[in-house]
Amino acid sequence: MQYSSQAVAKPYFVAAIGLFVGQIIFGLIMGLQYVIGDFLFPAIPFNVARMVHTNLLIVWLLFGFMGAAYYLVPEESETELWSPKLAIILFWVFLVAGALTVVGYLAVPYATLAKMTGNDLLETMGREFLEQPLPTKIGIVVVALAFLFNITMTVLKGRKTAITSVLLLGLWGLAIFFLFAFYNPVNIVLDKMFWWYVVHLWVEGVWELILGAMLAFVLIKITGVDREVIEKWLYVIITLTLVTGLLGTGHHYFWIGTPEYWQWVGSVFSALEPIPFFALTVFAFNMVNRRRREHPNKAATLWALGTGVMSFLGAGVWGFLHTLAPVNYYTHGSQITAAHGHMAFYGAYVMVNLTMISYAMPLLRGRQANSEKSQVLEMWSFWLMTVSMVFITLFLTAAGILQIWLQRLASDPQPFMVVQDQVSLFYWMREWAGVIFLIGLLAYLASFFVGGRPAEARAS
Amino acid sequence: MFSPPDDPGRRFAVIAESLYLANLLIAPGVAFLGLLCLWRRADVRTLPLARQHLRQTLAASLWAGVLLVGLSAIILLVGGFASMWSWFAVILYFIVFHSTLVLCGMVGLSRALAGQPYRFPLVGPGDPT
Repeated sequence: MQYSSQAVAKPYFVAAIGLFVGQIIFGLIMGLQYVIGDFLFPAIPFNVARMVHTNLLIVWLLFGFMGAAYYLVPEESETELWSPKLAIILFWVFLVAGALTVVGYLAVPYATLAKMTGNDLLETMGREFLEQPLPTKIGIVVVALAFLFNITMTVLKGRKTAITSVLLLGLWGLAIFFLFAFYNPVNIVLDKMFWWYVVHLWVEGVWELILGAMLAFVLIKITGVDREVIEKWLYVIITLTLVTGLLGTGHHYFWIGTPEYWQWVGSVFSALEPIPFFALTVFAFNMVNRRRREHPNKAATLWALGTGVMSFLGAGVWGFLHTLAPVNYYTHGSQITAAHGHMAFYGAYVMVNLTMISYAMPLLRGRQANSEKSQVLEMWSFWLMTVSMVFITLFLTAAGILQIWLQRLASDPQPFMVVQDQVSLFYWMREWAGVIFLIGLLAYLASFFVGGRPAEARAS
Repeated sequence: MFSPPDDPGRRFAVIAESLYLANLLIAPGVAFLGLLCLWRRADVRTLPLARQHLRQTLAASLWAGVLLVGLSAIILLVGGFASMWSWFAVILYFIVFHSTLVLCGMVGLSRALAGQPYRFPLVGPGDPT
């Protein structure tokens, strides 16, 4: 660790991993509810478990992004963080607000929660992924703005690099697009249209910039390849991301009541969306192939390569699978979407956060890399989580194909719940794959507690 | 084997891997013809890195044709076009094998960009020497 203020990243990473565990537990609960409908009912209804599962995902990824920014910006800018104290205050504000929100979801019926938290003053609740009560949403904006102020001031007083510029662009975009969460028009077409400004332009727009910046930073550190080479790749990737991803929003506008031309715009541009992920994968492998040093942190290198591959598969291949309007006509809202969502989030954002944590945590704990033993366990966790996620995706895809056939293509289409019964075997297999994923995550946690002599660098 | 950055073979190695990927992704058949044309050029085959990547990509493209078109067709012909289970099998099969072949090509392309040889797992021919 080159700057003492980078230490503020540590609690963010710890909280991120803690919330990640919570997310997976709720995922398993929900997976079981798919096959045992009244499991934990009425204590944790399905809609609440789903809300907690997805909200925890978003919150822990945000914790990860903030931790990553606090770690990499001082090093890139070659200066201490503008205010480490502000970073710590924001950490506690965000953690307490997040925890209270989850407690609210679990303890109070959602309609009561809406009433209690002033939703009638400004109606923002009830939309998928943006279920947070109004005070939480305001809290997110306050935390995001203060965080951005801190990071931007640090960049302004230090060295400016392509990585910090791209990261700032992504983080500012993240904050700005979240403001659409406060705009909830009565017209349901406009409501959906602006809802996607947050959801799509986050995950298929500005978050990809954050991903690119984080991956580029780690690759510079672990490969020793010239910054200029990596920065050129980064520019190409973010250009491709913005060119394809912005108008790619159109793939959400096929059936919501928007004009028909969106079927062409959405199909064409979103069909191009795998290209930046393709470039990201080739970029990661190319940098590792051209490495100038053998960094002792093998686990971080594995996570970095895994990010490229899994994001290409999850976001690229599984996204393309159902993105063309004539195909989406049949697949829309089926388990194919769930398959894509799982692998894309894991491959792109979970893995890039774990890449960063894997690289930075040993340094934050005073060593260049963890011991060989610890890294072996971490690499086991990589394979357990990644392979089980591949199977989760395949089982959901299988369920989706059958669902579409039986419910939408067959000459005598069957009702939704009847079909759900018929594909339950795949839900069971998905649940078991989820258990393996949890074991992988626990192995990942355990790797932090494995001691031994830190691994050392070797010349390439 | 590491080739220097100015090795002319590197350029052709990159072209070969790109054509392999294009054959799988955007221009099936046409890109394969491009690969065959490249293979027919004697000046390209004398460059060790280019020759190595060309052999690999040609062999892998032929395997890709058999695995993706041939086996998919067999599944559909045996199972029947109107059967839910044949479409279930063929879609899952195609996604898995196509993605795997593309990923191998991406690794091959990154190796070519770095001036290094690459052997496709399972389907790539061994070194003749």
